[in-house]
Amino acid sequence: MAEEVHLGLPGPWAADYREKADHYTTKIGGVPDWPTVDMGIKPETLQCSLCGTKLCLVAQVHAPVAKLNIEERIIYVLVCSTPQCGPKPQSWKVLRVQKCRNVMQTEGGGDELGQSNGPPSTSVPEEQNDKNKIPEIDDDDFDLDALAEALEQAATLASNSKKKNKSKHANAPVKCPVLKEQACDPSIPVLPCFYIYYDKELFGGKGTVGSSSSELVLDKEIMDTANDEEEKWEGEKYEYDKAIGADRTFLKFKKRLDAYPQQCFRYSYGGKPLMATTKLQDPGTCRLCGSPRHYELQLMSPLSYFLHEAGDGSSNYAPSSWTWLTVIIYTCSKNCCLSSCGGNPQSCCWGVAEEEILIQEDEVR
Amino acid sequence: MAERGGERGGERGGFGRGFGRGGRGDRGGRRGGRRGPRQEEEKWVPVTKLGRLVKEGRINKIEEIYLHSLPVKEHQIVETIVPGLKDEVMKITPVQKQTRAGQRTRFKAFVVVGDGDGHVGLGVKCAKEVATAIRGAIILAKLSVVPVRRGYWGNKIGPPHTVPCKVTGKCGSVTVRMVPAPRGSGIVAARVPKKVLQFAGIEDVFTSSRGSTKTLGNFVKATFDCLMKTYGFLTPEFWTQTNFSMTPFQQFTDLLGKPTKGLVLEAPTETVEA
Repeated sequence: MAEEVHLGLPGPWAADYREKADHYTTKIGGVPDWPTVDMGIKPETLQCSLCGTKLCLVAQVHAPVAKLNIEERIIYVLVCSTPQCGPKPQSWKVLRVQKCRNVMQTEGGGDELGQSNGPPSTSVPEEQNDKNKIPEIDDDDFDLDALAEALEQAATLASNSKKKNKSKHANAPVKCPVLKEQACDPSIPVLPCFYIYYDKELFGGKGTVGSSSSELVLDKEIMDTANDEEEKWEGEKYEYDKAIGADRTFLKFKKRLDAYPQQCFRYSYGGKPLMATTKLQDPGTCRLCGSPRHYELQLMSPLSYFLHEAGDGSSNYAPSSWTWLTVIIYTCSKNCCLSSCGGNPQSCCWGVAEEEILIQEDEVR
Repeated sequence: MAERGGERGGERGGFGRGFGRGGRGDRGGRRGGRRGPRQEEEKWVPVTKLGRLVKEGRINKIEEIYLHSLPVKEHQIVETIVPGLKDEVMKITPVQKQTRAGQRTRFKAFVVVGDGDGHVGLGVKCAKEVATAIRGAIILAKLSVVPVRRGYWGNKIGPPHTVPCKVTGKCGSVTVRMVPAPRGSGIVAARVPKKVLQFAGIEDVFTSSRGSTKTLGNFVKATFDCLMKTYGFLTPEFWTQTNFSMTPFQQFTDLLGKPTKGLVLEAPTETVEA
């Protein structure tokens, strides 16, 4: 039952935390890139349900579903930026934005796939990785003059380079040579922004990833000396892993994290989440259509560590007060879409749905 | 006295001629070779809040973690905070299970870690391959590092060298009793628990055991349980009023942190602690 799990690994930092990308980009922090300017989202949806402040973007994941032929589908994870609301689960919000299906068929958005960074369930992810490792040069109007100009300007972005030196990314941070436009709304709080590239999780499971020759020698030596020992250790049986502070579930969670220590989120459409604690509430059913929800992705603790490191240490910074181990996101299994467009094929019709989020906290007691 | 000290050292070296010594040497070489291709193993990205605090350097001694009974969930925390932690594989036994297609053999590794100065941990791991079992056991041992209280037999001269009082630990049918011994007695114990006591930093102790000590797994765990109990024993030094202090989580956040539900005690500074 080996399901493919795609890991979101940290890529380059954004040159400016408020820069705009397109809705095909997968990124952490920054400003949400809505597909169209007028989304028809009520302002209450973008406000914290506890304190009313505007929510800031934690993660924007381009998540097309190849099986259902939905290519334009993005998941936005928003959180309240005040530290007091941080520990409470009601301050988080997940929005699933997708294009309604009847409009999709008339347009045939196949040519837009060239820019997509999302994890299709059936296609080969290697080529996606190659595209993603290039710094974000996916604008159509990219030209060499702008590149030369931007390279000169890159030398003046000294404050951002200091933050990049602090980052613990696997890739060397690459500065975007093309300056992006700023977001229009300066009142939205913004978290430090970095882009994501995908990798498939290679997990040996119950077997190891191969032993070297020196380990084989050690095995033989141990088995030889075992016969020389004057005492026999008798009566040993299989024993489950036990530690004083951590239970089996957490030890398994940590083992998978140690395989890819920088994973920011895990994506597996319809798969099984990686639990950090044994208790998990029921995700419930979709608010729009009533069909059951299934797991889609989960945010992992290295994400909050990276955001915490990128912060300037001020007391008003939300990620410093986060103590969650993982945030599990459940979405509608039918991918329903609010049909408010009235069947008009000319206008772009984007459905926005709110999905369920479950937080697993790091319990101290 | 001098020859006793030499004897102890010699015995430790002599015992090491078995796979213990070879294991340590080999493991060092293996670790060095393993680090080359996978550089990401070096960078620890903390998962828990406590890990984050330790990585930033806000917590310097492991005693602060013990003081507030915070669960240690990442072995890198212990690696960072406790310097000089050595590990040794005590035993690897095959464990068999009967299946329809014959017997399935897995290996069970017992690893003890310690700094020889009051901190010791014991890890037990079963795995299909020996190397995996050893690696996993080292991690579990580091997760279960506990403080060991040492005291005096008689005159309080010099550093503490023995257990503070008679303590007993039990696992399965094996009970191990440790009794304070005068300086220079050495560790009077069977070969297997002696190793654990050496890693704990206890220099002199008389032990007595009961039960089926042939089951050396239980014997080792009973000794470890006994060492855990040294700090659980209430002696007159702890009679003074405790001054409660803030947990590191509350200390290092500017806003109200999560309220802790348990007792927060400040350990009285005493000479018995080394």
